[in-house]
Amino acid sequence: MISTIKNLYEHDRRFRFAFIVIIGIIIFSSLSFFSPYDPDSSYDVPSDQSPSIKYFFGTSSRGQDIFWKMTFAIRNSLLFGISTALLSRIISILVGLTAGYKGGIGDRILMSINDSFIVIPILPLLILFNFIFQEKMSLFLLSLIMACLGWAWDARLIRSQVLSLKEREFTRTAVYSGMKSLPITLKEHLPFVMPIVFATMINNMLWSMGLEVSLAVLGLSDINTPTIGTTIYWANQHQALVAGVWWWIAAPIAISTLLFIGLYLLFASLNQYIDPRTRLLRMGG
Amino acid sequence: MKHGFFFRYCLQRVGQCLLVIFIGITITFIIPRLAPTDPVESAIATANMSGQYTHPEAVAEIRRALTELYGLEGGIFEQYFNFWKRLLKADLGPSYSSFPTPVMDLIRRSLPWTVGLLLTSAFIAWAIGNLIGGLAGYFSQRGWARTLGVFCMAIRPTPYYIMAFVILALFAYILPIFPLSGGLAIGVHFSFTWRFITSLLKHAFLPSLSLVIVSGGAWFLGMNSLVSNIVSEDYVVYAEMGGVSNRNILFRYVMRNALLPQVTGLALQLGMIFNGALITEYVFSYPGLGYLTYNAVFSGDYGLIIGIAIFSIIGVALAILIIDLAYPLFDPRIRHR
Amino acid sequence: MMSKLRGKFLLVMVVCIIATWTVLPAFAAEKMLEVAPGVLRHETLILENPTGRCENPDNFNRWAPGMTTYSTGLQQLALDTLWYIDPDAGISTPWDNSLAATKPIYNKDFTKMTAKLRRGIYWSDGVEFTADDLVYTVETCMAHPGVLAYGANFEVFVDKVYKTDDYTVVFELKKPNSRFHGLFTVRWSACFIMPKHIFEKVEDPVAFNFNPPVSLGPYVLKDYDKAGNWFLWERREDWQRTSLARYGMPQPKYALYINPGPSDKRVMAQIKHDLDVIHDIAPEGMITLAKKNPTSKGWFKGFPWAHPDPTLPALILNNERYPLNIKDVRWALTLLIDIVDVSLASYKGAATISAIAVPPTGGYLSWYFDSMEEWLGDFTLDIDIDGKPFHPYDPSATLRIAERARKDLGDIGSQVPTDPAEIKKALGYGWWKHAPDVAEKLLLRNGFTRDKAGKWLLPDGTPWKITIAVEGPARPIMTRGGTMIAEQWRKFGIDAKPVVIKLLWQSMSYGDGDAFMAWCIETWGGHPDLFWFLESWHSDYYKPSGEPVVFKNPMRFKNAELDTIIEGIQGLDFNDPKCLELGLEYVKVCVEEMPLIPLMSYNVFTVCDEYYWEGFPTFENPYTNPVPNWANSKYMFTMIRPKTVE
Repeated sequence: MISTIKNLYEHDRRFRFAFIVIIGIIIFSSLSFFSPYDPDSSYDVPSDQSPSIKYFFGTSSRGQDIFWKMTFAIRNSLLFGISTALLSRIISILVGLTAGYKGGIGDRILMSINDSFIVIPILPLLILFNFIFQEKMSLFLLSLIMACLGWAWDARLIRSQVLSLKEREFTRTAVYSGMKSLPITLKEHLPFVMPIVFATMINNMLWSMGLEVSLAVLGLSDINTPTIGTTIYWANQHQALVAGVWWWIAAPIAISTLLFIGLYLLFASLNQYIDPRTRLLRMGG
Repeated sequence: MKHGFFFRYCLQRVGQCLLVIFIGITITFIIPRLAPTDPVESAIATANMSGQYTHPEAVAEIRRALTELYGLEGGIFEQYFNFWKRLLKADLGPSYSSFPTPVMDLIRRSLPWTVGLLLTSAFIAWAIGNLIGGLAGYFSQRGWARTLGVFCMAIRPTPYYIMAFVILALFAYILPIFPLSGGLAIGVHFSFTWRFITSLLKHAFLPSLSLVIVSGGAWFLGMNSLVSNIVSEDYVVYAEMGGVSNRNILFRYVMRNALLPQVTGLALQLGMIFNGALITEYVFSYPGLGYLTYNAVFSGDYGLIIGIAIFSIIGVALAILIIDLAYPLFDPRIRHR
Repeated sequence: MMSKLRGKFLLVMVVCIIATWTVLPAFAAEKMLEVAPGVLRHETLILENPTGRCENPDNFNRWAPGMTTYSTGLQQLALDTLWYIDPDAGISTPWDNSLAATKPIYNKDFTKMTAKLRRGIYWSDGVEFTADDLVYTVETCMAHPGVLAYGANFEVFVDKVYKTDDYTVVFELKKPNSRFHGLFTVRWSACFIMPKHIFEKVEDPVAFNFNPPVSLGPYVLKDYDKAGNWFLWERREDWQRTSLARYGMPQPKYALYINPGPSDKRVMAQIKHDLDVIHDIAPEGMITLAKKNPTSKGWFKGFPWAHPDPTLPALILNNERYPLNIKDVRWALTLLIDIVDVSLASYKGAATISAIAVPPTGGYLSWYFDSMEEWLGDFTLDIDIDGKPFHPYDPSATLRIAERARKDLGDIGSQVPTDPAEIKKALGYGWWKHAPDVAEKLLLRNGFTRDKAGKWLLPDGTPWKITIAVEGPARPIMTRGGTMIAEQWRKFGIDAKPVVIKLLWQSMSYGDGDAFMAWCIETWGGHPDLFWFLESWHSDYYKPSGEPVVFKNPMRFKNAELDTIIEGIQGLDFNDPKCLELGLEYVKVCVEEMPLIPLMSYNVFTVCDEYYWEGFPTFENPYTNPVPNWANSKYMFTMIRPKTVE
């Protein structure tokens, strides 16, 4: 594992960059444990100060040091994105592989459920869930709901990948040589499916974190938990853009942009590493 | 592919599509009724909040009369049954927040705006994103390709609300080239005149630009990675060695192969058009379906929520159906068993 | 070869991009001299319609449910009713006989009300307005009680309504009601008069669209957006035949009500001089306007700019929920609030605070606040601090707010008044002391305890949790204030949490929550009578949690003394000076019991741009309320003057 990272770090510039950025952001977000300010507390510092040596990212109109506030926000957003993505990946892999493998009536039932999840418009549904849970709505619950709503399209992709793999020659060879379907799936096909899982994972994180921002802008996120979305929500509540407190908005954007470039490059480079074709090449060469 | 087999496959798919539509609509019927929103209470609360006087003894009468007027009496099954009965006659019933305007009327009024804006933007974004993405993937070592890649990567996580707002502030306020809000200038109505067309384009430009940048960036990244994967496939390497021109390789082989998943994505996106673009319409005050949904949800107007959702559900379900039916034609490797 | 291909594509791309960016803007840029074809900008007043986009813009039936076009100019410029009470000083007096010729005439036991109507008032289609219209309006609404506006109210009270001549209408009431005229008296709105000659031809007055609306006011609808974003009104040729003509000609030839979009966009639109009257923006937007647009004018010349509406945002406590049913607890929570921070957090200091349960606006400053000040200073809680009774009132709170605001606002801090008398009028008279030590004692003597971590526990040993419901982006100011209060309580060790409840008004109606940032106290502003909202606080109308409240008692507050006060007011004439005395008694009951924590008036940042028009109402010249969705903003139209624009 460590040698793989070392290997990638030395040979792939993308990986090097991504690795540094992501480690940096993880360090940044873990700074939240050392924050001198309580994230719930406001008017601890003078408000509306532009970025300076003293206040690295400036201060907000609520009298909060944006630097420290962002450490919490990034931590929570990251946890939110990762948990949503992981949970929904589990569902989509299960459904996708099963449907692709079983075929027949099982496939049809699973795909009907799957497609029903695709066709239901998500945003109104999320708003309604917000109404149902009211004050019980927390970031974790939101992540759970979004995981339950956001797996279907990816399950479809995985299923169609499995379907196309089933037609490939090596599957037939495996079948003729007497392998059971489960081992075939796990041993032969999962490596081909993993790149899709990774690619959809980052997409799913982007989707869930983006939707969190949309919900927060509409005031439907848990405003007590600092996240990228709620940071923007509070900036909006104070008209930061028109009032000229641009740093309040710039900080979350800058950090989330860095985070996503990092994630994107990381997955691109991992993808290439995992991709059986390139792996064969490496093994051969 | 045998004829009978294909027919059976189609029939199966269509059946599944209808089932999906049925489940989807049923779910959107149930969920709003679980939420504590109630069109009657919402109407009373709105009147109360806006300072309209009601004598305490009159409140009960208002509640009773509105419940009756809105047709909300009876159990949920009775309502559900009546709902399907009406739906099969293409009647979505009245909107509660704009009672007694039929939901159909409200949707019909907003639909052209949303469809016009999103359809154009989706196609433009798709074409530009894929074209440049393909080029950038093929010439991935070039400086411009990398710069564009970084730009698109940076655009994606930027909260759409902020980006739209910045575009608006830049081109409608700091450089006052485009209007701040609305779908048409004041005093302009639908007609086939130069004034109407320019006004329409002028008002649609910024919202459309913001959508094109966001989804164009996504298409770019997708195409970029697809093409760079394909470039390493054997047949491309052979073609290069065989001296086939770059242009031919790129357009005849690489792009054509990479386009398949992108076409699928486009079909899905087109199906989703009926969801509207809530934030776009909110920022640019564009009179489309997204904003209608937003208001419907907040006023507890189930009639309208379900109405909009039905369009969206049918749209997406049809898109999926088309993708499923067309896929075997494009990709001969997948044959249905 | 490669470079050739690349070159070609780049060229095409560049050409495309340049073409879009040059051709489109070329016909996009034009200075707004005309609002619409033939409608000149300098003859037009452009106002914000705070409803936003109207989804069914074709429906102008003000009486029907589900109509959304009420503040598109319809109730301000085209409809009219018998009486208006201005929340401020009024154009002559706060009370205006609009369609009525005199004040309402009651018989001795308030079972009969007579309304005398003006002569010579005409509908915009040339038909004269007479007693028939009024009788028809009441009868039609009564025939559809609960559906047509005010119908249910008429059904409860009206026994018979008839005319004695073309300009006199008599209402015989089922039971005594000294405030019956309130149904025809505009505060924000009221029951407007229907044109009989139009409605009587209609089969179903509920489904009728009333499009185009036949106008009884000085403007008629000229054009409107099918998408609901704008409504254009033109001054009537025969504006002299309307009730407003008494104050001269309405100056703008056109009035345009638009949906300008979110708050930031309203600021931008006004800086571009495309929006003359903003309904409301966040305080930061006001500060931006004060800095960037010298022609932007608020109600006050400088800080705090905003118009204090006669509505009292408060922390509405659910008096049925344990432990909020304990008076000491409600008082403890009050003393835990530092109003200076709340004012700064919610309004950037530009709030007009109130310690008592009436809004500090209009005539209420002298009627209630001046009268109460001494009593408030003497008021003590029944708890001894250092052997002396505790005086909770703090008249210096506003001075501290002014000081903090002056510091916070930087270069425009000089706009904050320094004269204590001026501060009092703009920022309020005073509030309750921030006294956590007293709060602690109040809680301890009720058996509350702190755990090891300093968190408060209920007498039974379980943690004390409290949620404050706020509305979120729909009402930023109150969300900000509510969040601050929760923070202050939390710092004291109470597990308090602000929650965005989008359906706050419904939740509050059912008593589903502990505390709500909202309002239930609304006054006339220009008249001291409190019956309008207070009537529904009577225990006869009390509803327990789980059942929706009737009208204005979401606290579910029950008090025998208050019942006597309400019954007392009920038996008095609207203009009897004793009403004020009873009103003061009500204020005292609310101070003693603290059923809800009063905070501030609803300060609305209505900003008028003196670029095309001048003479908007201000604190110095308070002839009406500028807030453009209030029906009485019609008086503004006769008072503003065009400004010559170079």
